[in-house]
Amino acid sequence: MAWLHCSIYYTPAMPIPSPFQSSIAKPGQGKVVLSLLPPNNPTLTTLTYKYPLKLVPRTGGFVPTPESSALSDTCPSHPVHLYLLTYGGGLLPGDHIEVSIKLEPKTRMVVTTPQGSTKIFKTSPNNSGTTPNVIKGHRNQMPANDHLSDMSQQTLDVNIGRQAALCYLPDPSVPFQHSRYAQVQTFTVDASAKGNERSSLCVLDWVTQGRTSRGEDWNFHFWRGRNEVWSEDKGKRRLLLRDSVILDDESGDLDATPVSNEVEIEGVKAEVENTAHNTNTALAKPDMPPQAPAGLTPLNIIAERTRPHGVVGTLILSGPVFEALGSFMLHQFQSQPRIGSRNWSDHAPSSVPEPSLSYKGDVTWTAARVRAGFVLVKFGAKDFETAKHWLGGLIREEGSVAREFGEEALCCL
Amino acid sequence: MLLKDTQELEAEVTLLESRLQDARAQLAASEYPSPPSSWAVKEQYNKTNNNKPTTSTRTSLHALLLLSDSALPLGSFAYSSGLESYLAHNKPSRTAPITSFHRFLKLSIASIASTSLPYVLAGYRQPSTLDTLDNDLDASTPCIVAQRASIAQGRALIGVWERAFRVSFAGPENRASEDAQAAATAIDDLSDALKSCLEDDDLGPKGHFAPLWGVVCRAMGLDLQQTAYVFVMNHAKAVLSAAVRAGVMGPYQAQNVLAGQGLQDTMMKRIAREWNTPVEQAGQVVPALDLWVGRHELLYSRIFNS
Repeated sequence: MAWLHCSIYYTPAMPIPSPFQSSIAKPGQGKVVLSLLPPNNPTLTTLTYKYPLKLVPRTGGFVPTPESSALSDTCPSHPVHLYLLTYGGGLLPGDHIEVSIKLEPKTRMVVTTPQGSTKIFKTSPNNSGTTPNVIKGHRNQMPANDHLSDMSQQTLDVNIGRQAALCYLPDPSVPFQHSRYAQVQTFTVDASAKGNERSSLCVLDWVTQGRTSRGEDWNFHFWRGRNEVWSEDKGKRRLLLRDSVILDDESGDLDATPVSNEVEIEGVKAEVENTAHNTNTALAKPDMPPQAPAGLTPLNIIAERTRPHGVVGTLILSGPVFEALGSFMLHQFQSQPRIGSRNWSDHAPSSVPEPSLSYKGDVTWTAARVRAGFVLVKFGAKDFETAKHWLGGLIREEGSVAREFGEEALCCL
Repeated sequence: MLLKDTQELEAEVTLLESRLQDARAQLAASEYPSPPSSWAVKEQYNKTNNNKPTTSTRTSLHALLLLSDSALPLGSFAYSSGLESYLAHNKPSRTAPITSFHRFLKLSIASIASTSLPYVLAGYRQPSTLDTLDNDLDASTPCIVAQRASIAQGRALIGVWERAFRVSFAGPENRASEDAQAAATAIDDLSDALKSCLEDDDLGPKGHFAPLWGVVCRAMGLDLQQTAYVFVMNHAKAVLSAAVRAGVMGPYQAQNVLAGQGLQDTMMKRIAREWNTPVEQAGQVVPALDLWVGRHELLYSRIFNS
């Protein structure tokens, strides 16, 4: 995290002369192209990004051996690891991150978020020139009370070529109290590829109730996560899968009055850097009540709709590289004990004992093979640690992700 | 004196009638660009009741009653929309079963409105996009339990349309309006595509319920408000009917809930909220519901298909 404190910032006002500069128009945009140069040498032929986004590639960390890979006939190239970073480890109101990644045929990429959870900082209704996030001066000041512009947004657009594979297992997003966030992740696969030549993807998208250490329990304003997979063949696009979750406290439906008169001390850049290490600092209020801080309505719509879970998420698996993992998840799901079954033979408790990881009572999950061979896993767990332990455990137990992409692909789990 | 009064009153009646007609014409022309309010619905039904029914209102009322009938052979009785699984996951030990059920009903209506209603409205507004809507809804349905339920009811709706309604609402001797005819054509096209589609083509046409509902309602002359309201109301009725059969409540209590102002307000609020939601923005607002519906398969004993 040393880079957090260094002073090298890209600023719109003082651009670093770069041959790529002209192709990047707006702050928060990034573009990556991964090509396979002969004979079998994955190379980032394009890598550009602009503050507050930072993209850090790392190659050569893991070399798949022909024996280790289940698809040795397709001769997997080395996975390139891309770290997706934002300054401060999260998104401020008005931040718009826009990442476009192109994986050319036969390449492989691992994308992770090494900063821990993606923090969604709160939308401050009275954002003015004096708030610390503007003092830093690098991000555009947002007009107050503008619902669209004060929302944090993240767009990820990945084009996965024939026989290419993306493994994207990030940390969850953690929306802070009063925050607003929308994320659209679009994955485009090559429709003309068949069988083992298909594009492969593994995408995890999960969201937590907020900072439990500060008593947050789904009391942000808005969080939307949309994941789409499209197939494309000669310019003809078709929607294969859309997973869309909308968590909206519906406070915007009524005439927007500020929900709270609390002093705006969260969501400021000064704290941002501290929270990367420690959630509770001198700035934070230590005596925050665990439930329903003042100003919140007692009935929290989002909590009502996610109850009893503290984290919900989706894992999308597709393509030959993740076929084994998909089948494993389906099998694990189907071999869960039947709900409501009884052991009639003795006076044992009504439910069957839970022997394995996948049966953990704290995780409610479902796996289904939906259309076009996609395996969709949806889960809800009581907290982040439980979900992480459960999902990481299952993926490690199956083992193919570590074999194909290296253990570092699982660093967020 | 008395005669004069009568004449004045008659003149006033004529004036009011002409104003009413003007207002009606305006309303028809605007085709409900804004979400309905409960006031508007009441007003509309009052008008229907107090005045001589025109042919079009009579036809639309007749179609409305047909489509809201619980005996409409769609097999809706076989689906609990996750209620059965919800009850298994949330043992009503501490809370009263009725309270727990009311929570489910509210969540279920919010969820159907956010995930399916945009497709109903889009189907009604653009019948010609039915095949795209069908594909996109199929792509957006995350669990196979819900998918099976939606497809089964959608195909049943096509069946009812073709075997029963088509001849009366789009038959050769029946002069259907131009856009009702366009809607009928869209249903025919999807039906043909379904018949010619190979079984193993899992990206082929499916016949999902929500967009078809919108198109069928248009073909039968319902307005957009009625289409949306009946869709959500039928869903509420199916959930309540499932509740009665699952032993959550008695039939009178279920009718009490159905008749209640609370349910009406919830429905109107959800419809108004999703009125202008484009299908790309449709999504699940109750993530827990996807889990319950998906885990229906894990129930040891089941009386419903979803």
